[in-house]
Amino acid sequence: MNKMPQPTESSVGSCRSRTIDIVNRGLKRRYRAERRFKIYGITAIALSLVFLALLFITIVGNGYSAFRQTEIKLDVYFDPMEFKDKLAADANYLAIVKDAMRSLFPDVSGRRDKRSLYGLVSTGAAFQMRNMLLKDRSLIGQRIPVWVPADDDVDMLVKGHMDRGLPESDRRLKDKQLAWIDQLAADGRLHKAFNFSFFNNGDSREPELAGIRGALMGSFYTLVVTLLLSFPTGVAAAVYLEEFAPKNRWTDIIEVNINNLAAVPSIVFGLLGMAVFLNFFGLPRSAPLVGGLVLSLMTLPTIIIASRASLLSVPPSIREAALGVGASKNQMVFHHVLPLALPGMLTGTIIGMARALGESAPLLMIGMVAFIVDIPGGLTDPSTVLPVQIFLWADSPERAFVERTSAATMVLLAFLITMNALAVVLRKRFEKRW
Amino acid sequence: MSDSDTFDPADPKNQKTVGNIRSDNPRMICRGVEVFYADKQAIFNISLDIGKNEVIALIGPSGCGKSTFLRCLNRMNDTIDICRVSGTIKLDEMDIYDPAIDVVPLRAQVGMVFQKPNPFPKSIYDNIAYGPKIHGIVTNRTDTDEIVEMSLRKAGLWKEVKDRLDQPGTGLSGGQQQRLCIARTIAVNPEVILMDEPCSALDPIATSIIEELILELSAQYTIAIVTHSMQQASRVSQRTAYFHLGVLIEVGPTDQLFTRPLHRLTQDYITGRFG
Amino acid sequence: MKKVLTLLSAAALLISLNAIDAMSARDYISIVGSSTVYPFATVVAEQFGKTTKFKTPTIESTGSGGGLKLFCAGVGAEHPDITNASRAIKSSECKACFENGVKEIIEVKIGYDGIVVANAKSAPMMKLTRKDLFLALAKDVPDPKGGENLIPNPYQTWKDVNSSLPNQKITVLGPPPTSGTRDAFVELAMEAGAKEFGFIKAMKKTDKKRYKAVCHTVREDGAYVEAGENDNLIVQKLDKDPTALGIFGFSFLDQNADKIKGAFVDGVEPTFDNIADGQYPVSRPLFFYVKKAHIGTIPGIAEYLKAFSAEATWGPDGYLSEKGLIPMPEAERMKFAKDIQMLIPMECK
Repeated sequence: MNKMPQPTESSVGSCRSRTIDIVNRGLKRRYRAERRFKIYGITAIALSLVFLALLFITIVGNGYSAFRQTEIKLDVYFDPMEFKDKLAADANYLAIVKDAMRSLFPDVSGRRDKRSLYGLVSTGAAFQMRNMLLKDRSLIGQRIPVWVPADDDVDMLVKGHMDRGLPESDRRLKDKQLAWIDQLAADGRLHKAFNFSFFNNGDSREPELAGIRGALMGSFYTLVVTLLLSFPTGVAAAVYLEEFAPKNRWTDIIEVNINNLAAVPSIVFGLLGMAVFLNFFGLPRSAPLVGGLVLSLMTLPTIIIASRASLLSVPPSIREAALGVGASKNQMVFHHVLPLALPGMLTGTIIGMARALGESAPLLMIGMVAFIVDIPGGLTDPSTVLPVQIFLWADSPERAFVERTSAATMVLLAFLITMNALAVVLRKRFEKRW
Repeated sequence: MSDSDTFDPADPKNQKTVGNIRSDNPRMICRGVEVFYADKQAIFNISLDIGKNEVIALIGPSGCGKSTFLRCLNRMNDTIDICRVSGTIKLDEMDIYDPAIDVVPLRAQVGMVFQKPNPFPKSIYDNIAYGPKIHGIVTNRTDTDEIVEMSLRKAGLWKEVKDRLDQPGTGLSGGQQQRLCIARTIAVNPEVILMDEPCSALDPIATSIIEELILELSAQYTIAIVTHSMQQASRVSQRTAYFHLGVLIEVGPTDQLFTRPLHRLTQDYITGRFG
Repeated sequence: MKKVLTLLSAAALLISLNAIDAMSARDYISIVGSSTVYPFATVVAEQFGKTTKFKTPTIESTGSGGGLKLFCAGVGAEHPDITNASRAIKSSECKACFENGVKEIIEVKIGYDGIVVANAKSAPMMKLTRKDLFLALAKDVPDPKGGENLIPNPYQTWKDVNSSLPNQKITVLGPPPTSGTRDAFVELAMEAGAKEFGFIKAMKKTDKKRYKAVCHTVREDGAYVEAGENDNLIVQKLDKDPTALGIFGFSFLDQNADKIKGAFVDGVEPTFDNIADGQYPVSRPLFFYVKKAHIGTIPGIAEYLKAFSAEATWGPDGYLSEKGLIPMPEAERMKFAKDIQMLIPMECK
């Protein structure tokens, strides 16, 4: 009896020390593995941050200058002779601008030189004069100073995108023009001002007149249609599938198909939209209505999947509580489950919308990749969207479109970031704790 | 080695219940109740009466089917697709599994309090008012105010929350939340209240408050309570039913069952051989 | 829930109202077609929109073939009114048009576009012949050892092709097969170069299919890089890599003369004047086609044609020439201006 416990105790003791030895031996390796993994993780994050920073730096670096536009001050004289015997709208405003330019450089002569002189101001200047005068007829006979946009080449020169050191033949602006520009700058007739036209104008082939208003409105109308169609439909489908539908082979097939649809390349939806909405229903080409329909087809699966996930995340205890006091299934869903799931659904919807906002491929098929100057005023007016505008500008030969492409990208990114931030805020704000 | 290791619930010999399953004045009568989850049988041939204004405790080791049985009593098992119930359960002569019976009014008559306090993420006031509102018991604000106050008073919560009825119910402490859930249940004035381990998530002080509340409520309501605590069963109940592997082993008056159990398995359980 | 339902029905109503509105008519000109003509047509459209009471036409860049397909699909507001093309309409397309009810088409030539082979400003000036281009870029070329058999293109450097050219690796960035520029390039440069070999020229009569394959197939071993439709990208790449050459329309050379320079082809430099007077060999006419049935139903088409054919637009001093379009000789301009004025439809060949 006395001898028995002795070996037992020592064996327990030695056993324990052995365990610790084994643990200690492996400990270093385990920590090393942990450290290694942490380093991989940090490297991955650092790498993606670097790429992100690179993206932002390039875009902002290329694009920030587009928010300022070079302008030239002209002393415009609305010569009453020009307005004699014609409607004010039909007057030759180009001649008025040309006169103003000539008055600045009276000694320029010869057809070629005059042409290159007039080339310094944008062709938009004449339209600006026209709008000014149509707004205020009393300007006839007056001489007033007006800032008009400079031609894109002048703008590029002022912004330092053109090298003066190159031989004359290789420059878009010739030596004479450079001299005039320097003269204008010396006279204080050249400055850079905030580029309002970038936000107020539709597309244009003159970079200095091109703006994103048309594309923004197009994106807006398209997204309104998308939201109005895809959110109610998506939520209703998700609620039915998650809460009411029997679980059988049919619902399984539907579920698999929804998941597959979410992974279908967006161009396929464009083809579908062209076949169904344009060719079958005869809806107009290039219309935000059709764009919205196509994009809602594209976002529906995303919204359904997000909505179902968020319904599923409502704890069963809330359902039981509702059923426990005698709520019907319908009441349980609409009084308790849906309100709790709604923030998650909204988040999913906003992310779906953000994706739709950045989409251009499916719109190619339905004619929204087009040159459209007029700002759309409704769902069936021809229009384009922001990413398409970026694509079109990126493909334009004029150098000044490079900075505008980046600037439009900045605007698009700002919208995307805002939408995603909104999704985060909504989730944080309305997420109920239970 | 006790019988519990070799106990076969599917053997009809084992399905006989020891003690008196009947009640002199029954509110609910269950006969031959069996529950299946898909192919797996969870409850075997249970017959039991639940008397008017009595507190009956359902005890037994984990997985013995006591909660499943309780959830049969207001057809809460209907929400599980694969669950199938057979046998008859009557509430005051009405067969609650009759296809013609609607579960919505049934659940208004047989209320339920769950293991984890689960107030709605709404205000305290709305938590109570919800049931009466959907059933059409109240239609105007005064009636609602009245029923809210009455229910909270009955649940012993009125004094603590009367100044913050508009605050979320989820902001209360665990014990208060559970009393809120009880108040929510009694707001629709049920005949039977089912409680599924209502104190398992609470600390001892909150537990004793709830236990006192159960005793007070028993004057007015019929209560069936599932508990894993034998002390709690002995403190709050008049009758106790012991479940084992889906079989109702023994039913009897609480003092007798805990002091002089008739069945070997009951004795093993209350003496702590297993559980 | 009620709110959602109201919103939904309101949206449905709005959409249906709008759709009905859209069915009835279209009050703007719809133009599709070539990406080469796009930069010119858009300028005219913008001017037209600003100076007239009509809405600005919409212009889609669908490629010449895609545009003609849409154009020929039928008559009616849902079909485009005008399609731009960087090549003449094919007889098969013209027939398809006719079968779909598009019976009268007015063909308008707007000017010429030179296709240039350019490299970085810093690189040595290339003086190429069309034969050089064929030998450098075709998939199969005549055996350099002589004889009349074709072998897979063995040339790795320009010096291999022609000993007067610099000893640098052949790298040419160019448009993909879907592009009209590519079609024109293989036809005008490579096919012409191939014809200098007598036996290939003879093949045209004996085995036309094989002849086409020989002349038009571009090598796929990496010397020719398909750089996508974005010509700006090619310009940027050329700027970075002085050994590479790029193929694109003259307007991109015109706009980027500070970064790149055009190679001489058959001894002619790609300048505005050389292309205009036809000296530069790799140039092609640009067109647009108008659906006569739409004139009068869609507002503004006749006026648009008039604006396009004005001297101030497509003449030598017109604003299209500033954008890089090479104007037609005066006689040709007169002819097409007259066609436009009289609305004379073309004959299907």
